[in-house]
Order: sequence, then C-alpha cells, then structure tokens
Amino acid sequence: MSILIDDQTRVIVQGITGKIGSIQTRWMLEYGTKVVGGVTPGKGGSTVEDLPVFDSVEEAVEETGANASVFFVPAAFVLDAFYETVDAGIKLIVVVPEHIPVHDIMKIRAYALANEAMALGPTTPGILVPGKGKMGIMPGSLFAPGRVGIISRSGTLSYEFAGILSEKKIGQSAVVGMGADPVVLTNLPDILRLFEADAETDAVIIVGEVGGMQEEKAADFIANGMIKPVAAYIAGRITPQGKRMGHAGAIVRGSAGTVEGKCEALRTAGAAILKSPIEVLDWAAKNDIH
Amino acid sequence: MKLYEYEGLDIFEEFGIPVPRLGVAESTEDALLIAGEIGYPVVLKAQVLVGGRGLAGGVKTAETPEELEEISGTLLNSEIKGLPVHKLMVCEKADILNELYMGITVDGFSGKPVVVVSTEGGVNIEETARTSPDKIASFYCDPAFGFYPYQARMLLRRLGLSERLLTLFADVLVRLYRVFSQFEALIAEINPLVVLKTGYQGGLLAVDSVIEVDNSALSRIKRPLPELTERIENPLERKGREIGVTYVDLGGDIGIISSGAGLGMATMDIIGERLRPANFLETGGGITEELLYKCMELVTMKADLRAIFINIYGGINPIHEGARGVVRYIKEHKVKLPIVAKALGNHQEETWEIFREGGVHVVTEAPTEKAVDRLYELVGDE
Repeated sequence: MSILIDDQTRVIVQGITGKIGSIQTRWMLEYGTKVVGGVTPGKGGSTVEDLPVFDSVEEAVEETGANASVFFVPAAFVLDAFYETVDAGIKLIVVVPEHIPVHDIMKIRAYALANEAMALGPTTPGILVPGKGKMGIMPGSLFAPGRVGIISRSGTLSYEFAGILSEKKIGQSAVVGMGADPVVLTNLPDILRLFEADAETDAVIIVGEVGGMQEEKAADFIANGMIKPVAAYIAGRITPQGKRMGHAGAIVRGSAGTVEGKCEALRTAGAAILKSPIEVLDWAAKNDIH
Repeated sequence: MKLYEYEGLDIFEEFGIPVPRLGVAESTEDALLIAGEIGYPVVLKAQVLVGGRGLAGGVKTAETPEELEEISGTLLNSEIKGLPVHKLMVCEKADILNELYMGITVDGFSGKPVVVVSTEGGVNIEETARTSPDKIASFYCDPAFGFYPYQARMLLRRLGLSERLLTLFADVLVRLYRVFSQFEALIAEINPLVVLKTGYQGGLLAVDSVIEVDNSALSRIKRPLPELTERIENPLERKGREIGVTYVDLGGDIGIISSGAGLGMATMDIIGERLRPANFLETGGGITEELLYKCMELVTMKADLRAIFINIYGGINPIHEGARGVVRYIKEHKVKLPIVAKALGNHQEETWEIFREGGVHVVTEAPTEKAVDRLYELVGDE
C-alpha cells in the first residue's frame, strides 16, 4: 500500500472550472487518478472532462463518495474553501496555489490538525504515486514506479530528482511536495514517518533548501531511530543573504536555517549528503537501490 | 514588505503604543526645523530597511543645531550596510532608565505566531538570547484564538516582572499583537521599548519599530500602504517585481531563468561551481509567452552577460508558450549570446522544437549538471 494515495482514494478538484483546474483534471485522469468530480461555487450542475461539478464540497462528498481534494482555488478564497472541505469530512487535502497569506495558512494548519485532516502545501506540486495516481500538477512523464520515496520543499526540484532517477530506471514509491512556503500544512518529519512505515519504500530522498527548521527537525527524526537509508540535498549554497530586519526569528531559531547547518545536522543523524543532485545516482548504486 | 521605522511608529501611535515626538527629514534644513520644534537634544536615525543599523553608525544624538547639521550632512546620502539613506528620522531623546524587548514573528515549523520578550533589550538582544536565555521568554500563540492580556501577563511573570511594569508591558504587548495581526505581519518588533526615568504617558516608550508585512496579503490590508516596488532600491530587482518574478542581482555574467525557487537555487549552486551567475530569477507558476519575453528583457539588461541558462519544468507552467516568448525576444532583439535551455515535462517536445528553431541549445536530459556542462562547453572560462 503506497502512502497517501491508494485504490480507495476518490478525488475531487476544487476550482475545477478554472483554466488550470480543468487542464490539470484532464492530466490527473490520464495518469489514472480516480477523480470523481469537482467543486466551483456557482457552477454546480455543469461538467468538466465529463465529471460532475458541484456548488459545495458537502454535496460533492454526498454524491461521489469523495475522500480527498486538490485545490486550484484562487489564493484569496483558500481559507474559506479549506474550512469547508475539512467540515465536509475530507481527510486528505492538497493545496496547490501560491501566494496565500501566511496568516491564513497558520489558521488552516491549526484547523487541519484539530480535525485530523492531512494537508499538503501551499505552493506544492502535490503528491504522485507512480503508476497509481496523482493529486496536483506533477508532470507524469518524469516519474517511474519503484521503491524510492522523495520529499521535496521545492516543486520543480522534485521533478528534477525523479527525472534523474527515472532516466536510470530507478523508480519511486511516492513523490511528495511539502510546499515551499515558510509555514506548511504538514512538516517534513511527519512525511518521513509515512515513508519509514511504508512497505513499498526502501529508501528516502529529502530535497530541502536554505531557511527554516524543517531539515533540522527531520535530522532529529532520523537520529531517533529511522531505519531506512536517507539521502539529502539542500539547495541554496550561494544564495545571497537577505537583508534581515528584526531579531525575533534569530532569538527563537538560533543558528538554524543555513545550508551548512542543515547538512551538518542531517549528516550527524546518519543521512547521506548530496552536494549536487546528480550524486543521487552514486548514492543509489552504493545502497543497492534499483 | 518592510516598513520604515517612522511608518511603524505612526502605526504604533494609532494603536495606542506610546512613541516619541518625531519628524521625517529628507534634507538638513528639514531636520533643523523638526529639531527646533521638538527641542534639543534630538536623536537622528537613518531610515534604512536593514537590521543592525545602530552598530553600523546610523543612529546619532545632536545636542545643538551645529551638531545636527554635521551629523545630518554625513548621514544623508551615505550608505548603511549597502543601502542608501534617503531619509532621517528626527526624534526626541528619551531619558532612559532601562531597555526592554518585545517581538512577534511567524514560527515556520509550528505554524504559529511566537511572542518573544526580554528585560534586556537593545542592540545586543541576540547575544543575550545566547548567553542568558533566562532573560528571554517566549510564547507560541494559537493563531485562531489570538493573544490576550492574561497570556501577556503570564509570559512577563516568567521574566520576574510585577506590579505596574508588568501591566504596562502587557498592555503594549497586546497592542503590538494587534498590529501584527491586522497588518498580517511576518514580524512586528519593538527594540528597545524603554522605561523612562521620568514618567511619560505611563512610563514606557517605543523608540524603534520593525514591521514586515506579508506581500501575499498586501492587497487586502485596508490601510494606505506605500507601493512595494518603490521599496526596492535595485532597478533590476524592481523590474522583476513589476513583471511578477523574483529577481536577485548577483555579481556574475551568466543570466539564469528558472521556474521554481528551489530549482533556481540549485541551478545557481551548480553553475557557481565553475561559472558566475549574473542573477537569480524564478518565475513561480505563472509562465506565459509574455512573461518569458519580459524575463529575457530583464536578464539581458545586465551588461557583460556571456550566456543565458534556462531551466524550466512543465508541471503547472505551459513551457511551450514560454519558449515562444524567449524565441520572439531573441529574434526581435537579434540576441547573439549563447542560450542553453533544459525544459522537461508537459509539452516538452513542442518546447524543444520552438527553442531549437530559435537557435537555443536544448538539453533533454534531467540532470542540470549535464546542461551546465553544455553551457561550459559554449562559454569556457573567462
């Protein structure tokens, strides 16, 4: 059983009637995802890709038995749509849009946690389980079925790693986009935990970047008994330092956030550090990963 | 968007936080007039959007008009940490008994606002956090619940505060949280919040402000705010913001266009092994023909460019449309620079065809390292 998406996953697309929502719906269907309908308030009764469109998530759930949702909702409407989706009982939500205000995301995150809904994003390409289905915008052609899990903060870098592996016939068990914003709805260690428990995953690649504390916390998780091998790449070695104002962040986080700090924490925890993405192939060979 | 100190102090005043009498001057004449109204001594503070200004010499006291003229003449149009000083804030000099600290920021990992307070404010606050953590207290708020006076009082008790100072400090802290919340701030900070020797509106005074507003929330903040683009000093970075991409000016001579910040950073890192990036540019998920045309325009504005490296993926982005914009720019402006493009994902074959027809060197394998090898073959060492 793969992580997050399996045979039982029935997906609705929120914002399905938009330009991006409709084309991505077609691509999700072509990839084999069980998309069962969509929601756009005010467009109920119409169809997109022969799928029924509903005015509300509640109605969509009643009519289609949906249990997962992917968002192509304009950023300003995401807060409302998210509360609606959680209230309708959906437990897996992928928030693709970028530029959602962080104060909204903090509220959304708290609501998801309180209601035990799993959510990814914002600014995420979503999740793709090769050969089974995808929720989001990952281009299917770059992925191949296999036994390596990928977690990435960056969308396009997750495609890069999957592409590098797939070209050498090293497939993936699942590829998860965490989302690129300062606050995300599910943190890195929680996704690592899913891969560690997944019988179809043999090893995990973390694709991180400069800033924040996700990789440092992932290092703690690995050090506390993770068994599967982990490789990590952290982008942003030569990123110019932003002109920082204020002290509160530095007081709370200490020295966390630099590429060196993250690599050091992960290395100490036992992860292999990739200096450049292509080194993932050497790592795979060394760990006998096909 | 970062706000200037004087803008933040205006907001504080509106929210009932005591601030010093102040004015903003763009010339020494203005500064003299303002100081005359306030009365000497006054403090002159360079208005720049970067921390560590005091230690960099951007804050000075003038006891007399003569001193003011001298200081103002030196500070105006100087640079503090690489940023030009266009404005000075002139304010009354507070009679300081001691300095406190309060700041509220977004904690990324917990996804909560975190309130930080200290009885040892001032320029060395980060040092204090390392050496005397007992002088610092912090509290993670429930973002849906908010932050209430009782929570502020409980937090301040941990610093050993009591009685009148506790209630005054708590009152300012709750008001600062309101600023943080209503302005959708990433950070709102008062450092220092000074305790005055002589009573002044109850004993505390915010003599500095740090506010950074979330750019994604700018359009819904129901108050007049300055235009974000006016805040960006670098003209190329300003143009990037205007066309809707993130552009960072770097020192080198290889132009970069990428889709996605992580990929853009990785691209810089890989190119930086052997060559020098001229810029960081990432489009986000909004690629159109027009956008990449404008990206080409922006990247080629940099003098002495030796090549352009394009690294884009078709997930949400219609990269074939983007390729049309790149090629249209090449043709209209007769661009002779070598251009290497790695483009994969949806519509990749169509994208390759468009690029090739425009004379772009196309790389069809996934590793960026291989595409950079191709770039290196074309441009070699300097």
